[in-house]
Amino acid sequence: MSSLDLTSSDVPAIVELHSAIETPENVVLTYRLAGPALRLWAYVIDTVIRGIVLFVAAIIASISEMAIEGVPVGLWLVLLFLMEWGYFAIFEGFFRGKTIGKHAMNIRVIQEAGYPISFWSALMRNFLRAADMIPLYGIGFISAFTSGKFRRLGDLAAGTVVIEERKVQLPREPIILEKIQPLSRSDIGTYVPPHKTLTLIEEFLQRRFVVTHQRGHELAARLAKVLAKKLNFQGQANFVEEYPMAFLACVYVTFHRTMNNDADEEHHHNPDQRQPAVAGEAMITSP
Amino acid sequence: MISKREYRRKRQADWTRFEALIHKVDSKGWKKLSGNDASQFSQLFREVCHDLSIVRTRDWGAGLTSYLNELVTKGHNIFYKAPPTRSHDFFAFLSRGFPCIFRRNIGFFITAAVMFFLPLGITWVVVQNRTELATRILPVQQLDQMEDMYAESSFEDFGSSRAAMGGFYIMNNVGIALRCFAMGVLLGTGTVYLLLTNGIVIGATIGYLVGKGHGENILSFVVSHGSFELTAIAVAGGAGLMLGEAIVHPGRRTRLDSLRTRGLEAVQIAGGAAVMLVVAAMIEAFWSPAPIADQIKYAAGGMLWLLVILYLTLAGRGEEVA
Repeated sequence: MSSLDLTSSDVPAIVELHSAIETPENVVLTYRLAGPALRLWAYVIDTVIRGIVLFVAAIIASISEMAIEGVPVGLWLVLLFLMEWGYFAIFEGFFRGKTIGKHAMNIRVIQEAGYPISFWSALMRNFLRAADMIPLYGIGFISAFTSGKFRRLGDLAAGTVVIEERKVQLPREPIILEKIQPLSRSDIGTYVPPHKTLTLIEEFLQRRFVVTHQRGHELAARLAKVLAKKLNFQGQANFVEEYPMAFLACVYVTFHRTMNNDADEEHHHNPDQRQPAVAGEAMITSP
Repeated sequence: MISKREYRRKRQADWTRFEALIHKVDSKGWKKLSGNDASQFSQLFREVCHDLSIVRTRDWGAGLTSYLNELVTKGHNIFYKAPPTRSHDFFAFLSRGFPCIFRRNIGFFITAAVMFFLPLGITWVVVQNRTELATRILPVQQLDQMEDMYAESSFEDFGSSRAAMGGFYIMNNVGIALRCFAMGVLLGTGTVYLLLTNGIVIGATIGYLVGKGHGENILSFVVSHGSFELTAIAVAGGAGLMLGEAIVHPGRRTRLDSLRTRGLEAVQIAGGAAVMLVVAAMIEAFWSPAPIADQIKYAAGGMLWLLVILYLTLAGRGEEVA
């Protein structure tokens, strides 16, 4: 968006949730950090599981206590110890950074450098839970919110981060564009939007069903206005104001051949005389 | 320049293939992968890395970038998997690794031992001579309870509940040692506090019981497991001090870097201390309260102290185990 003035001061600051590392292949990978809410939920799930396991074991122990005195209680106390000090470390150390709760929330602990967590790191980050937990995870929270990558003391010492894993799919092509007419050349000036802007529009259109039409237009409005000005758009008067999403689609269709060179010859078809506003309607009412 | 669409069309088959391989490794593990698959994986991994760089530099959009980023991330995680931990490594660690790392950082252990054993010794001597002072440190009820427990020389009522006590010792004592280590991250303050308080409480207890005339009973009970238990608390405390020192005196590293690199040895020492305390718990549950003559207990206790000292000073000597 460098060429468009969208970075002015009234745009709110973005909360940085990404962590970038460089691999031995010299590729920069970005991870999406897991926010405190996700981690808290994972912790709650794990705590409930630990409680249930201890509760069930207590019942079994008290029944078998009649048969072999002492041993069941002893084993239960060892289990209590393991649940307190070993549960997280064992799961994270041996199941590639995931406890049951983390698995449920689709988050994972990794080394900051992008490698899977090692056994000793898992031990470190979870032994230090004892320090993070004072009082009621107060230290952990303060550390998480001041460290920059949501790392509590255990994470800082072990060199780990918790990341969010999402299923990412190959994006679909914006098929709907076939129905939209390019802007008439007589309505616009000589300005050609940069490649980056067109990519931005393309992605926006691909994901437009994530939000309502109204919100979609709201989001599109800023860029649409800037583009209309740069293009010196002379077409239908309130088109840009009322259907900014549709306007962006028209801009994209107008210039996407430039962007994709001549590879899309087969997708191209003759412009007919439909009004841009109608094209807009077609787009915003489609499911 | 090749268009985005064309590039996608050309590469998509490989991406799908790579996705399938990742899925295969994820569900079946590396070992089930055929040689052909494995070599294909590493080749495709590098290719997808290359694709990601290209898509990034050409600004072909966040959708495609995050898709490839995800592929490379998953591949990276599989390709550079952490070395597996085996039971063999566990014994190698206990027999050589742990004592080596311990000796490399013995200064911290000595400091922690002084912080633990000095107040222990002082309160022991002071309380033994003036037993009424013990109430300043421990509640009267607890002292009475202790006195009842060690008034008799044998622990017959312990008999059936030994296993239960063993479990309790593991839970309680290993917990104390690990907390002692963990609190070191608070610039060492937590560790110092726990070492001092534990030393004072243990010293007061022993001093009180000895002063009340139960010396034989308590000392013959403590002498055996004390070798592993008391030493391990100081060992864990030393590991905690290492964390604190790493932050306070990071040297040329950043504090974070220092904590991370030196913490690795500290956590291994703490792990070793935990194992020592499990051994201590077993001795404390099954040997210490056994109805055996005091002389034999002292002899066995002396042997165990010697064993601990030899283990920590000699085990794994001459080997460079990381």
